[in-house]
Amino acid sequence: MDKAKFYEQLAKILDIGEVKPEHALRDFEAWDSLAALSILAMADSKYGVTIKAEEIRSVVTAEQLANLVESRMKK
Amino acid sequence: MNFTFRRKRITGVLVVVPENERSFAAEMKNFNFPEARSLKLKEVMGFDKRRVVEPGVCVSDLVVFGLEHLFASDLLKREEIDALLLFTQTPDHFVPPTSNIIQGRLGLKQDMLCLDISQACAGFVIGLMQAFMLLEQESIKKVVLVNADVLSRKASPKDRNIYPLIGDAASIVVVERDTEDSIIQADLKMDGSRAGALTIPAGGLRQPSTMETGILEDVGDNNLRAKDHLFMDGAAIFNFVQTEVPPLMEGLLARTGVSKDEVDYFLCHQPNRFMLQKLAEKMKIPYDKMPNNVVEHFGNNSGVSIPTVIAYNLANRLLQERVRVCLAGFGAGLTWGAMLLNLGPLSFNAIIEHK
Repeated sequence: MDKAKFYEQLAKILDIGEVKPEHALRDFEAWDSLAALSILAMADSKYGVTIKAEEIRSVVTAEQLANLVESRMKK
Repeated sequence: MNFTFRRKRITGVLVVVPENERSFAAEMKNFNFPEARSLKLKEVMGFDKRRVVEPGVCVSDLVVFGLEHLFASDLLKREEIDALLLFTQTPDHFVPPTSNIIQGRLGLKQDMLCLDISQACAGFVIGLMQAFMLLEQESIKKVVLVNADVLSRKASPKDRNIYPLIGDAASIVVVERDTEDSIIQADLKMDGSRAGALTIPAGGLRQPSTMETGILEDVGDNNLRAKDHLFMDGAAIFNFVQTEVPPLMEGLLARTGVSKDEVDYFLCHQPNRFMLQKLAEKMKIPYDKMPNNVVEHFGNNSGVSIPTVIAYNLANRLLQERVRVCLAGFGAGLTWGAMLLNLGPLSFNAIIEHK
C-alpha cells in the first residue's frame, strides 16, 4: 500500500491541504459522519476492503487508519 | 432464494407525492453543523428538494387520492380490483389493516383480498412477487400493488443523518397476467440478525411510546433523536449495500444468462446519490443506466423509490416501448431482492401531486 497516496486521499476527504501520519482524525474540522462514510467508500473502492464504522471510530491517528486498511488488504 | 414467475406483467404505474416541497438549503440551519459541511453533504448525497406530507396526513390519504385519480381518468375501474396489496411501515393504525381502510373509503367490492405487508425499501420487489403469486388464482385478474410510507412523520428534525433524506409518497402499480409467455426471475435474501441497523425503537409493543420515548437525546455528532424516531446506522447500511447488492444482482444475471449490456436499466431503491454512484462503480455500470436522481427531487421515499425512478425517468418511453430492467430493493429487515423483467408498454406512467 502506498501510504503517501492514502494520506492524499484522506486529505481530499477532509477538505485540507495535507494529512500527516500523526494527525488525530478527530481534530480535523471536517471530521463528521460524512467524512467517516467517505472513508468507508474509499477503502471499498480504492483498496477493496470493508471497514466498519466502529473500527473507524476506534482509531485515533491517520497512520492507525492506514494500518487498519493495509492489514485488511493482506487477508 | 430464487423465484420464477411466468405470464405476468406490470400494466400501469402511478406515483403520488405530497404537494408540499421542502428544500435542504432552507432547512440546513436547523442542524447544529458548520454550513460548509452541510453544503458538502448536499453535493455528495444529492440532498436538495423532497416531498413531505402536511401534519396529520396518513398513508390511506395518499393512496385514496391516487386511486380516485385513476378511477376519474378511466385508467382503472373500481370493480376490477381483485386484490389490494399495501406495503408500508407507517400504517394508519395497528388494527385494522390500512388496506381495508382504503377499501372502505373507496367503496370497493367485498369480493376481494386486502392485505397489509410490513416491508420498506425492498417492498416493491417483494410486492411484485406477491402480486405474481396471487395472479395464479383464477379469480384474481387484476392486483393493485401499493407501496406507501409517510416516514417524515417519524424522522427527528434535529437528526442530520436522516431528516434531510426522507420523502413521503405512495405508488399504485397495476399487475396483471400477460398473454405472452413472459418469464420473470427474482432473487431474494434476508438477514434479521442485522435488524437493528434500520429501526424505529419505540412505538410498538416491545417499547410503547411514552413521554420518555419522545424526549430528544444527544446521539453524537450534534444530532438529536428520540426513541420514537427512525434510526439508521448509515455506515452499516452503506457497507451492507456495497457488500450484498452487487453479488445479488450479478448472481441473478448469471443465473439467467443475461449480460449487463443486455439490461437497459438497473432500477434500484434510492437511498441517496452517493450510495447509488458507488454501487454503479462497483458493478461497472454507467451512471446513466442506474438512475440516482430520486433523492434530489423527492427524497428517499422507501418502497415507492423504484416506481418513482420508473415514472420520473421513463415516463413517456414506457408508454410506447418495452425495456429490459433489473430491479433491486434493499433496506429494513435487513432485506435485499433483485428482479429481472421486461417493462412496458404501460397504459399509464405518471407522477401526480396530492393536494
